[in-house]
Amino acid sequence: MTGPNQDEASVVPETDPLGQSLRVAADHRRSRRAQRVRKFGLSFAVLLIALGIWWLVTRFALVPALYLPSPAAVWDAFIQANTCRELDSGRSVCGEQNYYMWEHLIASMQRIAVGVGVAIALGPLVGFLMGSIEWLNTALEPYLNFLRSLPPLGYIGLLIVWFGIGNTSKYWLLFLAAFPPIVIATINGVRGVREDSIHAARSMGASRWQVGRYIVLPATLPEVIGGIRIAVGFAWTTVVAAELNAGIPGIGGLAYVSGQQLQTALTIACIIVIGLAAVALDALLKHLGTLLVPWYGRA
Amino acid sequence: MSFTLDEVSQRYITDSGEVVHALADTSLHVPAGQFVCVVGPSGCGKTTLLKILAGFLRPTGGQARVNDSLITGPSWERGVVFQQANLYPWLTVRKNVELGLKFRGVGAAERRETGQRCLDLVGLAGFEDQKTYELSGGMQQRAQIARVLANDPEIILMDEPFGALDALTRERLQMDLLQISRERRKTIFFITHSVEEAVFLGDRVLVMSPRPGRVVLDEPVTISQQYGRVLPGKELRSTPEFVALRDRIADTIYTGQAPA
Repeated sequence: MTGPNQDEASVVPETDPLGQSLRVAADHRRSRRAQRVRKFGLSFAVLLIALGIWWLVTRFALVPALYLPSPAAVWDAFIQANTCRELDSGRSVCGEQNYYMWEHLIASMQRIAVGVGVAIALGPLVGFLMGSIEWLNTALEPYLNFLRSLPPLGYIGLLIVWFGIGNTSKYWLLFLAAFPPIVIATINGVRGVREDSIHAARSMGASRWQVGRYIVLPATLPEVIGGIRIAVGFAWTTVVAAELNAGIPGIGGLAYVSGQQLQTALTIACIIVIGLAAVALDALLKHLGTLLVPWYGRA
Repeated sequence: MSFTLDEVSQRYITDSGEVVHALADTSLHVPAGQFVCVVGPSGCGKTTLLKILAGFLRPTGGQARVNDSLITGPSWERGVVFQQANLYPWLTVRKNVELGLKFRGVGAAERRETGQRCLDLVGLAGFEDQKTYELSGGMQQRAQIARVLANDPEIILMDEPFGALDALTRERLQMDLLQISRERRKTIFFITHSVEEAVFLGDRVLVMSPRPGRVVLDEPVTISQQYGRVLPGKELRSTPEFVALRDRIADTIYTGQAPA
């Protein structure tokens, strides 16, 4: 680490302020990178240890393979779910349940996109109104909390009776899971806007409408984005419930069906894929958040 | 624009059910163009008074008027400079400064011109397109002042605007503010903890005392008139009149009573 640093120092004279500040910036970047590598190394070590324990447990057959297949078996199940294979009968089969695993994943993501998408379209609006209009909040808050505490598995049957076994009931379920966290986050955001921010705008001549449009709305954005992240997380945890019935194609449906058919390795592969997809999507949303709200935590 | 307080008082009930007399019956007339400084310990009701004048707070007793009309809410004619800069981080420095004009429907070209003039005035030329949270505390405060000046209010209400600034920046902004108030004949209501600042800036100094908040001393500052000219800062501060008045005010704050 010190090698290139010294080289730069010999190229740029100490008295040159621009060179100095460039060097400080380069050092800063380097130390940030080193810190990231350390953090990643720590997480990665945990993964390796977990995999090692898993491998040992299966290697010495401490648990029957039906309950806990080996990492290799899970990997094979994952590969098999994404490729075509010849059966003994000579028939060729592709993926699992007639779909490749990535098709299952995409089907689930599409359902999440619709359910959460509608929640993102409506949630901030409802939250904004509830946060700004006291009587509306008094009127609706208990029902929002009621809805929030219902377990999705509890009412999926009802939704199927109402909307059929197809995608509509799944959209509804995902929407109902994603809607409350977005509304609640938005309400908290609206409530949390500093009084002086509003006073300052009012004494600059802002009408109530202008205060809402130019002050409260942007000030609430960080909380809305936080709410969306929580909602997307909820949607992933709900997607298995949504796909319990007629959930193929669907990664949640595949996880459920494979578990029912004692294909434990495939179930575990599905769970890992769901987890990874959820983490990746959340990282994307987090990144989007820092792009949209660069001031968060700094002002 | 002048403002008048007529037996204005303010009580509120705390969460624990206690009644707090934030402001006792207070009557005050501030003519147009006057620079009034208010000093006093924490909890003496200075900020309450400012909030009433700004229209953020309805007094529980009496009437507050601007010229002859009752204050019923905030208005752009009464600009407020807060202790904290309160800039909006989603807007650039320039957009912050132009915001009041935008609220009032002023066209983009005129907004830009006025905004730039005010930014230049407070020494923020070259920082127009910065993010507000990238500015130092002193620069943020200057941006806030530019934002209020851009709106060209008749009355400027200031709540310890220079409290958090370093001595050098504070002195510069004090000079700027004095110049603005003299040139544009603004009516200024200025809260400060610094007696020296109050005597230096004000045409008149009010000393307030807590529990209940009330005005215990109302002194005109006439040093410049006595000398027949506006004294530069350093000279003014070392005149016997300045020192005497400063001590008199400091004593009043300390004892909470007007000197005999």
